Amino acid sequence: MGHRAVITGAGVISALGDAPAELYAALCEGRTGLRPSEPGGDGQVACAQTGRLESFAVRDYLTEGSIYPLDSVGQLTTAAAQLALAAAGLSAEARAEREVGVAFGTVFGPLRTVAAFDLKIVTAGPGSVRAMDFANCAFNSAGGQAAIWHKLRGMNTTIMSGFASGLHAVAFAAEKIRLGRASAQLAGGAEVLSAEALFALDGAGLLCRPARDGGEFPVPFDARRNGLAPGEGAALLVVEEESAAAARGAHVLAEVEGFAFSCDRTRAGEAAASVGHLARTIGAALDDAGVRPEEIDALSASANGSPAADRLEAQAVAEVFGPRARALPVTAVKSMLGETFGASGALQTIAMLEAMRGGVLPGVRRLEQFDEDFPLAGAVGRSREVAVRRALVNSVGPDGACCSLVIARRGD
Amino acid sequence: MDKRHRVVVTGLGMVTPVGAGREAVWASLLAGRSGVSEVESLDTSAYSVKRGAEVKDFVPDGYFRTQDPARLGRASQFAVAAARMALEDAGLDPLARDPTRAAVLVGTTLGEERELERYNDWCLGGREQGAAPAFMLRWPAHVTASHVAAEFGLAGEVATLPAACAAGNVAIANAFDLIRAGRADFALAGGTETFSRALYSGFARIQAIAPERCQPFDRNRKGMLPSEGAGVLLLESLESARARGARVYAEVRGCGLSCDAYNMAVPHPEGAGAARAMEQALAESGLAPRQISYVSAHGTGTTANDRVETLAIKQVFKEATASTPVSSIKSMLGHMMGAASAVEAAACALAVYHDRVPPTINFEEPDPECDLDCVPNEARGLRVEAAMNNAYGFGGVNTSVIFGKCEV
Repeated sequence: MGHRAVITGAGVISALGDAPAELYAALCEGRTGLRPSEPGGDGQVACAQTGRLESFAVRDYLTEGSIYPLDSVGQLTTAAAQLALAAAGLSAEARAEREVGVAFGTVFGPLRTVAAFDLKIVTAGPGSVRAMDFANCAFNSAGGQAAIWHKLRGMNTTIMSGFASGLHAVAFAAEKIRLGRASAQLAGGAEVLSAEALFALDGAGLLCRPARDGGEFPVPFDARRNGLAPGEGAALLVVEEESAAAARGAHVLAEVEGFAFSCDRTRAGEAAASVGHLARTIGAALDDAGVRPEEIDALSASANGSPAADRLEAQAVAEVFGPRARALPVTAVKSMLGETFGASGALQTIAMLEAMRGGVLPGVRRLEQFDEDFPLAGAVGRSREVAVRRALVNSVGPDGACCSLVIARRGD
Repeated sequence: MDKRHRVVVTGLGMVTPVGAGREAVWASLLAGRSGVSEVESLDTSAYSVKRGAEVKDFVPDGYFRTQDPARLGRASQFAVAAARMALEDAGLDPLARDPTRAAVLVGTTLGEERELERYNDWCLGGREQGAAPAFMLRWPAHVTASHVAAEFGLAGEVATLPAACAAGNVAIANAFDLIRAGRADFALAGGTETFSRALYSGFARIQAIAPERCQPFDRNRKGMLPSEGAGVLLLESLESARARGARVYAEVRGCGLSCDAYNMAVPHPEGAGAARAMEQALAESGLAPRQISYVSAHGTGTTANDRVETLAIKQVFKEATASTPVSSIKSMLGHMMGAASAVEAAACALAVYHDRVPPTINFEEPDPECDLDCVPNEARGLRVEAAMNNAYGFGGVNTSVIFGKCEV
């Protein structure tokens, strides 16, 4: 009994395309969205490849109306919202009748805007700043701007829980729908890189470094991995209450069957959560969905090339799945998109929705060498055919936040 | 519908410009004391305004037992301090509880903005080697909630929920949902904000800062006064509170959340979104407007807010408006931004518990457009069956949380 949360649309703007099908085709082909990058700002950062959005032009998506009040993350979010609403068939009329809300996850949010705002105060005086920029400094500005543009008058929440924020936002939206608090939510997140963000990541030792034998290895699970490659993007799912979706004849892509979130900072260093803790969180998501591990057909791993975090995830999955872990098909799309932080959870979910439709699971690009006791033999370099009806999506942050989501394809 | 847990308030902690801790702050609010003065943490010589409310002489060390406060920014230090006070006020030992059944939800506007100032100052100073700020560990907003959680060993739903001036209420409303649904047994919910040049400059730029005093609802009101601090409520299921014989200040009866989808910084001119949030909260509480004994207004003291807020209240309360006291403690505390509605929520819980309501100070001349009973200048004793806390934030976020009497 109670309300069920289903996914009726998705919008994505990524380094590999701005349509789910386009992104999926690129992932299956093993193409990379990571490109050589200039050292950031005034300083050198160690990582020379990033998954930036090279050609994002907001006018491609928001063709009418004034984009002047939007900053970069606001533009990206509002554009992705446009795509998601269109994909779900939620017209302006529908949005006038019903309160569609927003659940938005991000790590850096409007950092570029607020850093520039503060810098201007110091270098040009407080009278030089613009009111418009001030409004965009608030961490919830992107969610607010998307709501203004698309007239989304439902519950509007920005969730900052670290790298897992985006998946956390999807879980949050699904929970509000179950509770009858919301009938439709745009859920996911966005991230824009800035010199400040790169500085932060570099200073924390999270970025991949040039290896002795050349190249960097932001490669999930690979034995040579040495850090993440940062990326940009926006991904929003339309998460909707099942009977409301049915009433308007919406096409249901999948159900959000279960989820769990927790935060554990037992360990110091790059991956704060303990294996046991992450395993319990994954287990809690399965319990919430009412499914057993053997009913999961594939895993979308959070792994991004971080030595300790990838290991943590592999061990936790092995603990939950037991002997089944070896055979579990695993994809890790950050091998091709890099770590897109607040956008990653919904991006992973969208890629998995496409895999459910297309019957092929993208491989883990450049994955060639394995840690000695690596338990997930189902993580392989090339894409292959996998029938996915039900999948697990993980998002694990270095700060100890863990989020797991169970989605199941509907219909056929 | 599944049986839902009732949610009560059992602990209160706050760090404010008029003092720290429930007793000191409540006494100050009832006495009508103002925490506003000349700004000291910022050089205001380039501004036409000079005043605000700051937390003075804050020493974080006494509130920390697990972590080194020097590793945290000011906003996180405030939050940990308020959280510790709330736990002690409630007499709840977090180590004696299942950590995965605890939630930590902390609201803010700009989070650790001073860390960003530190970074920019370092860049402008030539990026001296060895002095690089540990930016990733100190600035991103999520570290505030996760530091609060880490201080007390809590491991459930942990998130920073930025919602500008409505953030405290947003955190409380979400904690309410978690406990009600049985996903958490208790939660630390509130908000925090630190004084910063970005906040001061931004509000100065839009000419929102009053030159002298904050005068909500007054005909001659001239704006808000930036402030800082933190407020944290300990929310708990009624079963948990009863089982340990806890004192209950009030019950959270209902919440309302809506979005104007109109403008980032200006409220919808008819207050429609604000009215919707109030109506949602009333509907969930099963209360009629006349059963609300007191409203803690958003009441920033700007011309626009107070006028629109009055309209919204009248839309909802109709003929009951004249007999409903509506006060703004921002008149005394200034606008604590992400912390504001958390401290205001605490004041509502105390109003319900003590049957007293704090005043709107600096009130001299009524404004016909704000013809509310704003509890002018003097606190008032009255039976408070239920109190409504309203807060409206940048991004068009409208929130209402209703607290009611609870006989345990």
